[in-house]
Amino acid sequence: MKKESKFFKYLSLLPISFYVIVLIFLPLLYIFCLSFLTTDYYGGINNTLTLSNYLNLIDLVYIKLFIKSFLIAGISTFICICIAYPFVIFVSQKKKMTKNIIMTLVMVPFLTNSLIRTYGWIVLLRKTGIVNTFLQDINVISSPISFIYNDFGIILGMVYTLLPFMILPLFSAVDKIDKSVIEASYDLGSTSFKTFFKIIVPQTKVGLFNGSLMVFIPAIGYFFIADLLGGGKLMLIGNLIKNQFLSARNWPFGAAISISLVLITFGLVKIYQKIGGKMDDLGGF
Amino acid sequence: MRRVFVLLVLLLLVGCSDNNKSELNVLNWSSYIPDEVIYDFEEKYNIDVNYSTYSSNEELLAKVTSAKEGTYDLIFPSDYMVEIMKDKKMLEIIDQNKLKNIGNLDSKYLNLDFDKGNFYSLPFLAATTLIVYNTEVIKENITSYNDLLNPKYKGEIVLLDDQRIIIGASLMALGYDMNETSDEALEKAKQWLLKLTDNVKLFDSDSPKSFLITKEVSIGLIWNAEAAIAMKENPNIKVVYPEEGFNLSVDNYAILKGAKNIDNAYLFIDYLLEEDVMKKVIESYPYCNVNKKTNQILDNTYLSNEASNISTYNFNRATLVKNIGTSIKKYDKIWAEIK
Repeated sequence: MKKESKFFKYLSLLPISFYVIVLIFLPLLYIFCLSFLTTDYYGGINNTLTLSNYLNLIDLVYIKLFIKSFLIAGISTFICICIAYPFVIFVSQKKKMTKNIIMTLVMVPFLTNSLIRTYGWIVLLRKTGIVNTFLQDINVISSPISFIYNDFGIILGMVYTLLPFMILPLFSAVDKIDKSVIEASYDLGSTSFKTFFKIIVPQTKVGLFNGSLMVFIPAIGYFFIADLLGGGKLMLIGNLIKNQFLSARNWPFGAAISISLVLITFGLVKIYQKIGGKMDDLGGF
Repeated sequence: MRRVFVLLVLLLLVGCSDNNKSELNVLNWSSYIPDEVIYDFEEKYNIDVNYSTYSSNEELLAKVTSAKEGTYDLIFPSDYMVEIMKDKKMLEIIDQNKLKNIGNLDSKYLNLDFDKGNFYSLPFLAATTLIVYNTEVIKENITSYNDLLNPKYKGEIVLLDDQRIIIGASLMALGYDMNETSDEALEKAKQWLLKLTDNVKLFDSDSPKSFLITKEVSIGLIWNAEAAIAMKENPNIKVVYPEEGFNLSVDNYAILKGAKNIDNAYLFIDYLLEEDVMKKVIESYPYCNVNKKTNQILDNTYLSNEASNISTYNFNRATLVKNIGTSIKKYDKIWAEIK
């Protein structure tokens, strides 16, 4: 009897194992192996082993590019935190029904493709766009403001696209805080500023780090936002990887950058576990 | 259980597709042949065309090499990619006797360096990269790449997001050949580009004309068909064949080795070689026409457009992009540096 239940246990694991092995593990293994190979004259793959793809990465050009990408991703994450905290604290004080409605509204943008929503921003913010035309018509500005095709545009796009990924884990963390603890803090004479940093933040740090990971990691790779709202002027790691596969005919180098990025991501997840986060929460809503 | 049932019905429906119709698998640049032309071909010959697209020669190479042989029949590689594919023995020899409309082609575009004798390829369209500018905003006369460095033009330029073309332009601006690979020349080109990027507002290959039309920028270094459309939208936009030289790309018909529908591929090529079919293509995408019979029936809006029609003088000073092998890595690094 016991043997049979074990058999079913393994059987039920079959689809997910298949998924993980065939669609995640094998491609990653392929990329990993590829990153140690070289290219021939036409960009085909040669079966000679080398470390040069990784060594080439240690170059001021690419290090600068990594730093720039991390900076953009970091600033985007910080802005997301600044917007999400007040928002979720506000929502968590509402009635259950209102909470549900507001949180559903947060999800509504996902119904439209993010690429199309990005084009929406272009129509609004370009030189001859709605916002600039309006501001000029009411004489607030004399010449159009460059909202997009610069770093501001990229960060705006990242924050806009990724904000829900910060709000959702942060909300579930803030919502779990016992309201009486916050009341007690006020009763004992604490300011709201102090309450926030001494009571709310420590109790929600896992949710905060979880949300930060979910914003930071995609922000490194979302090259379409850098292309569309940054005017293709700023190259992020995502763009660099894309170029290796689609224009430089240098797949091994692209693979090496990808593997480096995977390692960095692993590092961040390890830090997350160290401060007490559970792996379940990362994909858990 | 119901799900299983629905799945079975779906499978049955898939199985019902018409198997008598023959097929043709085409892999072409995005926005290059109007849907109408393909639809007419399907109707006329009762052939199903499976049409997929790519947006760079490298993407084409990646798609073909990663797919099973026989997945695609007909492709449209540019000059240097024909050379690469020819060398890699990926292309079928084209039997010109099977094409009754082959005489329509302009001999100027035949027998070019990348495929002497046209054994593996025949020209479909040609494109040049030109400077365009809006004379409402830019009062000076622009005639060369070096004119673009004027500090007045800060944030006024759109460039193609294409490393070979743009680095090539900077090499020509400095008096080198656009296929130059020496470290010294490339270093100078990089410095030149770093100066230029102060004036660049954006890089875009998909539709750079729209930034000129919406007046986001007033100068562009873009494909000639894009330039032609922009000029039609705004008559103040002027086109320049840069003094220092410019790039000409010839896109070609080529049949892949192992193609399953070779006869249909010939039918499709021959169909596109017909003058009135090509006219429809050219009217939608006003690149350089390589079909001399089509030129006789095209109307004046196309024929009088300077961007679409390249003069013999300019044709002779245009440069084709060549395969530079592993030196492409140097280009890629410069590209990462200037962005």
